[in-house]
Amino acid sequence: MIDPFPPAFLFFIGAILLLLLPKGSPRALVGIIVPIIAAMMVWDLPTGVGGEVQLAGLTLEMMRVDKLSTIFGLVFCLAAFLGNLYAWHVKDTVQQVAALAYAGSAIGAVFAGDLIILFIYWEGTAIASVFLIWARRTEGAFYTGMRYLIIQIGSGVILLAGVVLLYRETGSIAFEKMELGTLATWLIFLSFGMKCAFPLLHNWLQDSYPAATVTGTVILSAFTTKLAVYALARGFPGTELLIYIGAVMTVFPVFLAEIENDLRRVLAYSLNNQLGFMVVGVGIGTEMSLNGTASHAFAHILYKALLFMSVGAVLFRTGTSKASELGGLYRTMPLTAIFCLVGAASISAFPLFSGFVTKSLILDASAENHYTIVWAMLVFASAGVLSHSGIKIPFFTFFAHDSGKRPAEAPSHMLWAMGITAALCILVGVFPEPLYALLPYEVDYHAYTTYHVVGQLQLLLFALLAFVFLMRTGIHPPEVRAVNLDTDVIYRRFLPMLIIKISNIVSGLWAFGTWFTKGKADRLVRTLHRSHGPEGRMASVWPTGAMVLWIAIILTATLLVNFIT
Amino acid sequence: MAKKPKNDDPQNYPALGRWMMWVDKLGSIKKLTWILGIICALTILANLTYSNKGHYGAENILGFYAFYGFVAFTFIIFVSKALRSIIIRPENYYGKKSIDTEEWPEAELDKKDHTND
Repeated sequence: MIDPFPPAFLFFIGAILLLLLPKGSPRALVGIIVPIIAAMMVWDLPTGVGGEVQLAGLTLEMMRVDKLSTIFGLVFCLAAFLGNLYAWHVKDTVQQVAALAYAGSAIGAVFAGDLIILFIYWEGTAIASVFLIWARRTEGAFYTGMRYLIIQIGSGVILLAGVVLLYRETGSIAFEKMELGTLATWLIFLSFGMKCAFPLLHNWLQDSYPAATVTGTVILSAFTTKLAVYALARGFPGTELLIYIGAVMTVFPVFLAEIENDLRRVLAYSLNNQLGFMVVGVGIGTEMSLNGTASHAFAHILYKALLFMSVGAVLFRTGTSKASELGGLYRTMPLTAIFCLVGAASISAFPLFSGFVTKSLILDASAENHYTIVWAMLVFASAGVLSHSGIKIPFFTFFAHDSGKRPAEAPSHMLWAMGITAALCILVGVFPEPLYALLPYEVDYHAYTTYHVVGQLQLLLFALLAFVFLMRTGIHPPEVRAVNLDTDVIYRRFLPMLIIKISNIVSGLWAFGTWFTKGKADRLVRTLHRSHGPEGRMASVWPTGAMVLWIAIILTATLLVNFIT
Repeated sequence: MAKKPKNDDPQNYPALGRWMMWVDKLGSIKKLTWILGIICALTILANLTYSNKGHYGAENILGFYAFYGFVAFTFIIFVSKALRSIIIRPENYYGKKSIDTEEWPEAELDKKDHTND
């Protein structure tokens, strides 16, 4: 038993403390000091389970510390530090509080000792993070935030349903390795999959991340999806289905990223593709592949944040992140351009950059376990990463044609945040051992063999050569102002259209029905009026004759009935 | 495409940016392409120096990864172009409930550039 102070609470205390301080630097300082202290706490956490709480007859464990939760906890602290440093200029209280509460929830979820605590923090990340989208304060951002919130909360509700069913079946709420098979585990799996942006459940990611504020997207990019990867690695390692889901995830966003105009949405697609590699690692489930997933999540959080930061800096200075409006910015934003190139090289997994030493663990694990087609898909997707994140982002922003824009270099705090992140990307790439030492299992792996380096260089450089060839021949698609359909068109256009159609049909039928019955009733009244009204034929014999006749008929009928019975 | 801004003077750019303007000089792209070509050739040569340790037979073919990279990239571009022709829509397709056509709120930004100072 251990009894540590949960690092998540530090973030919540920070978020409250922030409100008591004057706006400006003191508040920004809280945002960067809290993650540093939290990281030191996480570093010193003793391994074990602890922080018992009694709730409705259940014993909940606030904290479970092992190597898997520690590495995710550490990188989340690092991401919160870098994101808040990047957001030093932000004066908006909503964003500052949301950033801390969001990071705290994610860290709390990573250390959750059971499924109920996981659920509480799971919803915490959803609620805190939506404010980073709403903080843009436009109509579009409001609706986008709503869509995001519905899906995120939905994922939490499905998780809770799964947990309740699991408790009824097994009497346990422990967050341990699960087997797919019962409804309970399938629901939990689905809930993780929604947050992890599985194919067809993915579009909330590309819809919402470009809608958040300049700094909000940097913070969003780190936590939610990697929390889901952690949850999968904890709950479903070795689930073969994940290998195929992951492989599809690495491939399909490549095509959509290639033709997307909003660079922050391109990065969201690329994020989706990187998650695929991690999911494959979880699915293979060997020590090597799980190490690959954890290390790739670590490296990915850094280079993805760096790329979002560099595009964010451009947006901050020019007011747009659309590739069609940008180009040639290296002239006046050279440092941002160089940092972006470092991020691009890292995500593309060039040797000496972070992606190289982490992604190859997953690729080798897939080959070693003879998932040939999956391996081929992953290599293909690696070339795809180069196409959209390695080339498209830096090239169309900072080089390509001259857009005529001459924005000033990013402010110094952004440059510092990007500089530190870039340095970390290179450090991890050149000296992977310290990162390998943090991984959940013993690492016996050397990324820098001649075979690896040459193979990877061939793959990337010849893909680059293909790019040069396609640009020179004019085959490479130009950037145009447009949106591309994704599966979210189903609930953003088709379903509303269907509902409108159905409501039109129903209201049409209703109108016809009322018109028809009213017409019938009118005719009946008119007919009766004609025969029984004051001028009617029946009215002429109305007073006595007709009455006597009818009484006679009724009496006869009664007599007959009596007689027969 | 290039809209030359007014008061555009490279002397106002950061020194690093001025230095990087080498890439836009006439002939620079050609030089860079040649350098890339030479490095590519070197990776193929390097391929000859070791006996392959790949997991699959195909990996032992000389320049397997080079071929795969080139073909994969070209394939991606062609499929993306075809895909775009099917799924492309005007920017205001989702109307007011999306951020696609919205101007960025100025309060979020700090626009500064070198042409108006």
